[in-house]
This record gives sequence, structure tokens and C-alpha cells, in this order.
Amino acid sequence: MRPLIDREKRTVRLAGIGIAIYLALFGGLQVWKFFDKKRADYRQLVLEAKNLRERIQPYQDKVLVVKKMMDDFHVDPARLKKETVVSDASAAIQKAAKSGGLQLGPIRESQSHGAGKSLATVQLEGAGQVSAVLTFLARLNSIGFPVVLDAVQFTADNSRPGQIKINLTLIILDFDSTKEVPHA
Amino acid sequence: MKKKSFLNPPPVFIEIGPDSLKAVRENDEVELSLTRAADGRLTASCKEKIIAELKVFLKAKSWQPRARAVCALGARGVSMRRLSLPAGRKEEFHQRLLLQIEAEFPLAPDELAWGCQPLSANGSVGKQELLVAAVKKEVVADYLEIFRAVGAEPVFTLAALARKNLFAATDSFVMLHIGNGQSELTFFERGIPVNSRIVFSGGENNSNPPDAAVGALAQTIKGSLAATTVFISGSPISENFVTRLANFLGNGWRCERLSSADNVVNSAAIAGLQKISAPGTEPALILRVRQITGTPTSFVSADLKKWAVLAGALILAWGLLPFAEALLLKPHLAKKVAAFKADAVRLTMIDRELDFLRTLKQSQPPYLELLTIFSKAVPPGTHFEALSLNSHGEVSLRCAFRDGQQVADFRSKLIESGFFANVTVEEQTPTPDRQRVSVRLTAQEKPLAQLQALAAGLPPDDLPKDGEPSAPIARKETK
Repeated sequence: MRPLIDREKRTVRLAGIGIAIYLALFGGLQVWKFFDKKRADYRQLVLEAKNLRERIQPYQDKVLVVKKMMDDFHVDPARLKKETVVSDASAAIQKAAKSGGLQLGPIRESQSHGAGKSLATVQLEGAGQVSAVLTFLARLNSIGFPVVLDAVQFTADNSRPGQIKINLTLIILDFDSTKEVPHA
Repeated sequence: MKKKSFLNPPPVFIEIGPDSLKAVRENDEVELSLTRAADGRLTASCKEKIIAELKVFLKAKSWQPRARAVCALGARGVSMRRLSLPAGRKEEFHQRLLLQIEAEFPLAPDELAWGCQPLSANGSVGKQELLVAAVKKEVVADYLEIFRAVGAEPVFTLAALARKNLFAATDSFVMLHIGNGQSELTFFERGIPVNSRIVFSGGENNSNPPDAAVGALAQTIKGSLAATTVFISGSPISENFVTRLANFLGNGWRCERLSSADNVVNSAAIAGLQKISAPGTEPALILRVRQITGTPTSFVSADLKKWAVLAGALILAWGLLPFAEALLLKPHLAKKVAAFKADAVRLTMIDRELDFLRTLKQSQPPYLELLTIFSKAVPPGTHFEALSLNSHGEVSLRCAFRDGQQVADFRSKLIESGFFANVTVEEQTPTPDRQRVSVRLTAQEKPLAQLQALAAGLPPDDLPKDGEPSAPIARKETK
């Protein structure tokens, strides 16, 4: 192979420089596009994370409130089962009454109909010392079930001095009926 | 240029003589006396004093590079040789030069501070002519130590070469520098210094030496080489001395006094150094203690490049950082976001639980608090027959009071409690035995939210506790 003359060498050199510049520009553009897309995706992700954080922030306070109320009522709504909550609550009510020294009379349960927040209504009659009645009423809030005292009637028991009769209407609330609350 | 001047401290020009050090920096000048030991080296106390005074003079700033100190050394202790190096490879030049120096000088190159100046104009074919000047290394090392200590980067050259910059003579001439007690005589051949010697005058005042001394000096000058011009510098020189020396030299000789009026310290060497003070310009012959180092630093040529590279790297890093962040942190962030989204269902549950528990709380009428109000309002001896309360806030009561006044008081107390919107005595009838008054009373509670707020304001002692009912209600109910 004959050696290249200076002019040919210069041509080859210039062509090489031209190709190198083209490759650098073309490749650089591709690399730039790749990295720019990565950066745009990342910024989108950062925005999403920021929105999530703003959404979650108020829940720190909400969780504290829920915890306090659960402690106050001794109720964990998530553990309540719709199928058994009425029977369990009825049993807990009777247990609370007996442990306080209240003599229970007739108890009537009726299922609630419609789309209300109550699951069932329990009517019960009883008699006992005033202290036993008041203890029973105080304990109703903490028997571990969502029970609301709808109505109460005290009547003097003339046949047994020192005792009173009590007639209660209790409502057992339905957790499942609580609609999903739109997020703040 | 202004920027460069701001970044680079101005150079300082120094002449180091046998008994003094003169320094000039821009418009400031200082002259410091030197104390030498018997071997000619500076004493330790002198070094300390010079360092302290030069620090004050230079005022080196920590953020600036070291000031360039161009130092002109006197001829004392300096040996000069013209060397002719045989042709050879460029890479071997330094090695060959060292061999020549070792052969020509009384000390080994390692013990010398030396420098060379190419004399290409005089070089013969195949050979390289060089002027090599050398002085004992420790002498220059002392000066180097002083200038490094004051934050300067020194460059050493010969004072005679510096003075030569004051005129443009290229033929053979003699330079005479008058000093206190000794003078320096340097002979130049076709512009190249070939010999330098110290002439002792034996007196302190050289401004007007006796004829015998001038005559001896003239004989020394005339016997050296075929020069016809003498350039005279130094302090202090009288015009009379120049004329007398010219007379002693005789016809054909010319004596000329070098002017150094620009600086107060009256140093022709410093004036000569200032003539070549342009940035990037170096003296033709530099004496180096270590031959591999000693390149004068220049902020413009070296530091500026380094700073430019660092600044470029910083800008590049600044531009690339967002992309690097996206590449490096995206997987981690995506994982966290996915975990948050998976847990979002728990947020719904929290909302539901909160809503349910709030409903439960708001549905609880404060019956016990109402009973407390009744027990506090009822007068002793009252007989209760029936009391009913419901979640609609309706209260119904049947009881028997002793008289109408007690009924009115009871009613007033109920209203004053603030729990009731209205209290109505629907029926008030005397009993058949006229001992009591039977009363049928209804009341309407205030809205539940108000009741709960009022109940929260009741003293805790008034409320019936679990298993511990309020004493008044227990007592009055049973009557």
C-alpha cells in the first residue's frame, strides 16, 4: 500500500473530525433526551410525593383523636363484626347489669330496618338499688360496644323501699353504615 | 491587567549586599542592615529581625498567592564560568551540564546554588555556549528561608546582570559598584560577564577616596581586558570621583555614572530589575537552590488555570447535579411513593373510624349529668314517682313536694342550671291528705352540643362515678 500524501492525510483528518463532531452532536442529543426524560419523570414523582405528604399530614392529628376516643369508649370499630355485634353487645349489657347488682327483667331486641346508623334496638327492664342503677348507666359507655342510651325511665318501686325500677332503650350503632368520608 | 494586579500581589525588588538589604515594592522602600557571621552567612538574630521587618513591609495577604521577590545578589562569593557543552541529546543536557559544573567549580553541584544563561550567539557549531554562575548553596538558602517565611517566592539573579539592564551596551565594558568598605568590579566581554571581583578600599567613606586608592583601582580596571568604558554605580559617588577615575584611566577611557534616581534607596540593581518587571519576564540568569524547583509562581499562568479548571468543574457539577439526583434518587423515591399509596387504604379506615366514633360520642346524651342537676335542685323530703329522659331531650317528671314554694324553687333551680330550654309544670295538685303537692313537670333539654359543653363544665365531684353514685340523688330518690 502506497503511503498517503499530505493532501490525502489532511482530507482523512478533516473527514475524521467531521464524523467525530457529527457523532458527538447526534449522540449528545440522544443522551440529553434520555437524561432529560429521566429528570422530568423524577420531578413528577417528587410532585406526587409532595402531594401525598400534604394529604397524610393531617392524619397524624386524626390518629391521635381516634386513639383517644377508642380509649374512652373501649371500642375498636375495625374489630366489630356486623353478624355478632348485637348478640355480643346484649351479652355485655346483661353482664354489666348483673355485675353491678341490677336485677334484670324482660329484654327485647329488634333489628333496625332501612339505611340508618343503628343496627338494633334493645329494650330492657330492671330493678335495683339507686347505686346499682347509676353504676350500670355509667358503665354502658365502656362495655366495648357502640351502645347509645336512647331513653331511660326511672320509677319508684313502692313494694320494695330503697329500690327503683328502670326501663331502658338502647341503640347499637352499625359501623359498616359509616360512609367513606371524602378526604380533607 | 487590573484584575491580574488585584489577584496577584505586586512584585518586590530586592538587592542583597554585604551589609544591607534594600527592598522596593511599588512606591514603598525599605533598607535593612545585615549582620553576618565570620563565614559570611547571616546570624540567627539577623534573620529573625529581617523576617519581622519584611513581614511589616510586605503585608502579605492570606488569600493572595506569594509575592514574587526578584533578588539581586552581590558579587561576593559568586563564581562565573563560560562553559561549552558538547552536542548531544536534549534529554541529557542537564546531566552534561552537571558534569561540566563539577569539573569547573571547586564545589560539587549539590553544594551550590547555580544558574545558567545560554549564550547561543557565541556558540560554535555542534556546541552550546553557556554562562554559569554559582554561589555556595547555604548562602542563598538563608535568603530563601527568609523570603519564604515572609510569604514571598524569591528569584535570585546577579546584581551586576540587573544593573546591566540600565543601558544598552553590547561591547566590552566594566561595571564598578561602590559600596561601604568594598566595591564590586565586574568585567563584561561583548555584553557577557566574564569575571567579577571584590575590591577593598579599606575605608567607610568611598565618596571621595584618596588618589592612591583611585589609582590602584584604575590599574586593576586597565589590566583586566580591552574595555574602554566604565559604568559606575553605588552610594555615595561624587562627580569628582568619576572625573578622577577617568583621569587615572587615561585617554580613550570613558567613565559613566549609572542613574538610579527613581528609588530613594539609590540602587542601580533594583532599577535594573524593575526594567524587566513585566509579568512573565524572568531575569536571564537565575540562581536556583534546587534545580527541579524554583519556577516562579504566577497567579495568571498557574493559579488562574487551576482556578479556571476548578470553576469549570464546579459549573459542570452544578449542571449535572439535577440529572444525577434524578438517576440516583428516583428508585428510592418511587419505592416510598408506592408504599404510601399502598397504605392509603388505611387513611380511609382512619376517616371511617373517626366519623363513627364522633357519631357515637355525639349520640350520648349526658343523662348522668342531668340526674346530678336534679339531685342538686330537689329539696329534702321530696317523693319521686317517675322520671323519664330520652334522646330527643324530653324530660318528664312526677313527684310530690311539701308545698307550692318548693315546686317554684325546684323549677327555678332547673332553669338556672342552664341545661333546659324550658321547664313546664303541667299539673300541680294537692294530695288528698293536703300534706303534699303532686306535680307533673316536663322540660325540654337544650341541644345536645350545648348540653355536652355544660356537662364538661360541671365540677368532677358532682358527677356520679362508676359504682359511686352521687349522694344527694341516692338519698332523695329513695324518699
